[in-house]
Amino acid sequence: MRNVYTVKQVNSYIKNMFTQDFMLNRIYVKGEVSNCKYHTSGHIYFSLKDESGTIACVMFAGCRAGLSFRMKEGQQVIVLGSVSVYERDGKYQLYAREIVPDGAGLLYEKFEALKKELAEMGMFAPEYKQPIPKYVRTVGIVTAPTGAAVRDIINIAGRRNPYVQLLLYPALVQGDGAAESIVKGIRALEAKNVDVIIVGRGGGSIEDLWAFNEEIVARAVFDCTVPVISAVGHETDTTIIDYVADLRAPTPSAAAELAVYEYREVKEAMLSCAQRMRRSVLTRAEAQRARLNQLQLRLRFAHPRQKLNEKRQYCAELEDRLRALMERSLTAEKHRLALCAERMKGLSPLEKLNQGFSFVQDQNGRNIKSIRQAEPGGHLTVFVADGRIEAEVISAEETEYPGEKELTEGGT
Amino acid sequence: MEQKEKESLEQLFGQLESVIETMEKEDVSLEKSFELYSRGMSLLGRCSKAIDEVEKKVLVLDENGETHEF
Repeated sequence: MRNVYTVKQVNSYIKNMFTQDFMLNRIYVKGEVSNCKYHTSGHIYFSLKDESGTIACVMFAGCRAGLSFRMKEGQQVIVLGSVSVYERDGKYQLYAREIVPDGAGLLYEKFEALKKELAEMGMFAPEYKQPIPKYVRTVGIVTAPTGAAVRDIINIAGRRNPYVQLLLYPALVQGDGAAESIVKGIRALEAKNVDVIIVGRGGGSIEDLWAFNEEIVARAVFDCTVPVISAVGHETDTTIIDYVADLRAPTPSAAAELAVYEYREVKEAMLSCAQRMRRSVLTRAEAQRARLNQLQLRLRFAHPRQKLNEKRQYCAELEDRLRALMERSLTAEKHRLALCAERMKGLSPLEKLNQGFSFVQDQNGRNIKSIRQAEPGGHLTVFVADGRIEAEVISAEETEYPGEKELTEGGT
Repeated sequence: MEQKEKESLEQLFGQLESVIETMEKEDVSLEKSFELYSRGMSLLGRCSKAIDEVEKKVLVLDENGETHEF
């Protein structure tokens, strides 16, 4: 029987071979990043691949200082690390200590150096930032005339406000002369007196975006009297002009949104202004009208006619009272008069005549009341109800009337 | 020139807002509010004009500083 080994023995034997290998302990490997996973623990798992194959890599959280950018799928990088065996899986992998973008290593350093230099010159200082006008009428765009960036800007600007004039300077955004082309574009649009300039392009590698890291571009943006919005690549791509620009947009689409105001909103704001003003005037007019009505009412009450009417009414009342009083006293007098008339009637000589009594007078018109006034032969006139009788006194003698005494006695 | 006009839309809105605020205060007389109203309406008219509602074509600026349709 030949020698039989355990898995553990084999794995640790192999691991030992790797560990003892001088070259594998410190090795630079370049390749394209794939299956990149940032684990919550802080470790990063990814693979490096080229045309021929792949190698599994891991960067432990403790080594993260060796990585100064966020790794992305497809990115070309150079990894410094050691190759060793992961015994549990029986696999070898590259334990990364430092990762730098491949080919960009130099550019990256240049970028950092320029950034530091410009920052020290104060070109990123917030006090130099010009505000982006809220309502622009013309927007200058410095970008490639073909490609997604210009399309995105045109679409979004048109959708938000088709009345804003877009002026495109077709610039070379990568390759030789790109930086000069961008600078020319910024100056040309500045000369055209646009309200705001968008400078940018779509995403790409650090080399593709390099023109936007050139000092002449940064200076042109800084010197530009028109506010500049930078819009280079994707959210994660940062270039020098992003720091110099008056406003940094994460993408060209976002730049269009920041630069071009929404027409509908402004129109609505205007409508609401008109409404508020109308309402305010109407409310005030209504209040004044109510006040007018109130004053009108008060004035009506204060009118002299009102007082006059009151007096007139009082007058009428007095008249009524007077009349009533008058009426009353008049009726009383009438009654008195009636009573008098009745009494007078009782005393009327004519009435007496009617009752069969007569009135006798002598020739001198004196009433005969006693026999002593009638001498025989004397002439008398007797008045009766329907006329008078001339008579001669034949005789006169005393007569005692019955009951006279009782009457007189009763009377006293 | 354009710079001035552009600023004026922002200013117009600013003025408009202050007109409205004044109008909405209680102690404004009716005459004053009519005056403010007509002022506000003219500001609105100027806002409308400033928006310049003519659909614009995208223009391209060439090397010689001339513009063409895109």
